[in-house]
Amino acid sequence: MKAGDPTGSAALTVSDVSKSFAGRPVLSDVSLSVSSGEVHALVGENGCGKSTLIKVLSGYHEPDGGEVRVAGLPLSLGSAKSSYQLGCRFVHQDLGLIDESSVIDNILMNTGFPTRLGTIRTGAARRTVAEDLQRAGLSIKPDVEVGSLSPAEKTGVAVAKALRPDPDSEAKLLVLDEPTATLPEGEVTRLLEMIRTVTANGIGVIYVTHRLGEVFDVADNVTVLRNGYKVATEKVSALTRPELINLMIGHELEEISQEREAIHLTHGEPTLKVGGIAGGPIKDISFTVRAGEVVGIAGITGSGAESLLSTIFGGAPRAAGSVEVNGAQVRAERPDRAMAAGMAYMPPDRKTAGGMLELSARENLTIGSLGPFSSPFWLRQASEKREVKGWFKDLNVQPPTGAENQLGTFSGGNQQKVLFAKWLRLKPSVFLLDEPTQGVDIGAKALLHRQLLAAGEEGMAIVVSSTDMDELVALCERVIVIRDGLIVADLRREEVSLSSISRNALGTQAGGSV
Amino acid sequence: MSRGKINFGFDRFSGLYVWALFIIVFGALRPDQFLSMDNVHLIASQQAIAAMLGLAILMPLACGAFDLSIGANVNLAAVLVTILQVRDGVPMVPAILITVAVGALIGIINGFIIVKLHVSSFIATLGMASIITAAQTIVTNNLEPTPVLSTTWTGLTQNTIFGFQAIFLYLLVLAVILWWVLEHMPIGRYIYAVGSNTEAARLSGLRVGKYTWISLIVSGAITSLAGVAYASLSGPSLTFGQALLLPAYAAAFLGSTQLKPGRFNVWGTVIAVYVLATGVQGIQYITSVQWLNDVFNGCALILAVSFAVWRQRAKVERGTIEEDSGGDSPISHAPGLGDGKHPDGAPSVGGTAVGAIRHEPSPDAG
Repeated sequence: MKAGDPTGSAALTVSDVSKSFAGRPVLSDVSLSVSSGEVHALVGENGCGKSTLIKVLSGYHEPDGGEVRVAGLPLSLGSAKSSYQLGCRFVHQDLGLIDESSVIDNILMNTGFPTRLGTIRTGAARRTVAEDLQRAGLSIKPDVEVGSLSPAEKTGVAVAKALRPDPDSEAKLLVLDEPTATLPEGEVTRLLEMIRTVTANGIGVIYVTHRLGEVFDVADNVTVLRNGYKVATEKVSALTRPELINLMIGHELEEISQEREAIHLTHGEPTLKVGGIAGGPIKDISFTVRAGEVVGIAGITGSGAESLLSTIFGGAPRAAGSVEVNGAQVRAERPDRAMAAGMAYMPPDRKTAGGMLELSARENLTIGSLGPFSSPFWLRQASEKREVKGWFKDLNVQPPTGAENQLGTFSGGNQQKVLFAKWLRLKPSVFLLDEPTQGVDIGAKALLHRQLLAAGEEGMAIVVSSTDMDELVALCERVIVIRDGLIVADLRREEVSLSSISRNALGTQAGGSV
Repeated sequence: MSRGKINFGFDRFSGLYVWALFIIVFGALRPDQFLSMDNVHLIASQQAIAAMLGLAILMPLACGAFDLSIGANVNLAAVLVTILQVRDGVPMVPAILITVAVGALIGIINGFIIVKLHVSSFIATLGMASIITAAQTIVTNNLEPTPVLSTTWTGLTQNTIFGFQAIFLYLLVLAVILWWVLEHMPIGRYIYAVGSNTEAARLSGLRVGKYTWISLIVSGAITSLAGVAYASLSGPSLTFGQALLLPAYAAAFLGSTQLKPGRFNVWGTVIAVYVLATGVQGIQYITSVQWLNDVFNGCALILAVSFAVWRQRAKVERGTIEEDSGGDSPISHAPGLGDGKHPDGAPSVGGTAVGAIRHEPSPDAG
């Protein structure tokens, strides 16, 4: 059922919207239009500009140029209030629900409860929430705790919450930002049914997703973004899956990077052996990394790739399987043992797991081992400062004299350099890096890459997990692709390319290696 | 700090400026009483116990844990060390050792509840405080113990050295030791790391639970030493302890805005205690209102924390802290600071009262 085709008025028109951060364009003259009752899929690889476009619609980012109209009325750009009043509603991937509260409480959280003399009218609250749920096509009891619902039902509650009627502003456009990235297969179908119910009420839907199957299941039209440009808007019915993938990946065929060529392919003994590990989204993963090898891990959000390295190191729980470094077993959930065995792990998120932002850069850099300059009763700070100064110089950390400043005062790239030095100085035999250059400027990125490759040449076994596929192609001679918690491809040398990684990560048989 | 070279250190040394202000103002109003050596000595020893307790909670706070059992603990220690000597005839030194051992034991139990049972430090030590108070009632039968009369005992804290009572000297020695441990020993670095970002510390190979546990044992032991000192200085009382809890926290939090802003530190705490004490003493020379002490400490705690939060927010807004790092209140080793609001409105979990209540050291403590 393609309800959207002939629908009349435009729920949203985006005209020539551009946005750049620090001189780097992330959106270039993007235009797109969504009709009332239409489901419009927005797809593209990580970093293509999808989320920036969504944030322009929500008023979080103010674009450098262009115009956005919601149901014909111009959005005052950069204003979240205007976005809401014109009728834009958003459901983000994290949903923003409180698991411990009931469906009623969650849905009425923002708009307030019906009251009499300051007391909540429980009956009226239940009735109005029941209506909201029905509007979203959900048949659940309003009293149950959100935490007890299935993932699709939770998403439905978030949709019902977003679409709650507001006398001052009628909902015109619903943006679903990767609502299904973590949903199991069967649940997706339920969610898609809900979306159909919503569009039947005349609301336009923008559906951001990584799962191409859903595009074909639910969307009327699809817009593909690549590197900030709109590549195409097509009717879904006129498109095949391989065509869509080609639109996403493009024809920019793998330019072999200079960085890659520097690698000498002389590998030593197996250094890291991962045997059948499971935990979280990871179902059963085994692989071996040899000394001097630089291995990439790729996979879309929810595939397990994002937690694989943390599970190996002991940051995240490991339910089964073994990890061996240089022949020695490493216990699960014991980062200290992993480090003692010669592993190092740089977490993806500097704020929550990587850095201690209010301690000084020096304290962050040396926390992994104070041994070289301390006895139990005395930490010789003069020699500590000397070592830190050396690292600042080697990695060109800016400001060069800032070792005593709080880590949080450094730019993202320089924070990452400090944390990189923290692990490099331990001379690990296995170095695991999660998103090593996320939020890092180009100069710092190139420097980190060079350092990594140099470490690889010296015999370090390096594993890089990244959603930036360009990074994997540039760095790695071997890329392991994860889908649904399992390894679906182990690409070697000439097989490593943007398209082969994407094809395997997205799960299609259309061309490329399997 | 980063903006201009000319800087009188108002942010780091504001306490010292306020102190100077108090001395000038009260010195001008009551020169005879206020500007006397006697007054200096009086303030020094009167506030030594409060300062000791401020130091006792420093290590848990630096580690991201609250120890709210110190009020009950200091009280029990004072009563216990007295009863052991008077009723049970235990000599002075063993009595002190037993008392300190009991304090450390309380710390061990606190640590067990927090690290092994994963109860937030706030709740664990609050409950512990109540249990300790009950234990004290059992020991004393709710009768105020007879004070120890020997002059060796009272002299322990009351003998004077350079005009200062010995208690003040003990305070200084304790401060120097704690300062060395926190600033110049690896364990101090680890403790600050755990308090700053528990997950990052764990992923750096630190046994998070171990340091939380150690810090609580240390606070229990220092607290009971303060109790021993109190008993020697003023004689035992059944109820003085709880009244010292708030001043200790006021001092530690106010101290965290001084010298090394954003970080609980020894000398900042000591300065904070004496700035407050000087203010209270000065006012008492002018009026003789009794409740000023409480008002002062309450206001100081609230103002200190507001000031610290405001500083941090200003920093985030100026952009000296990276945008994507702004939400996690960077004073997060000051548990309980901040309102937990991300600058753009999303609530953050770490570094807030909520964060402290959820404080969960890793299960794998040593």
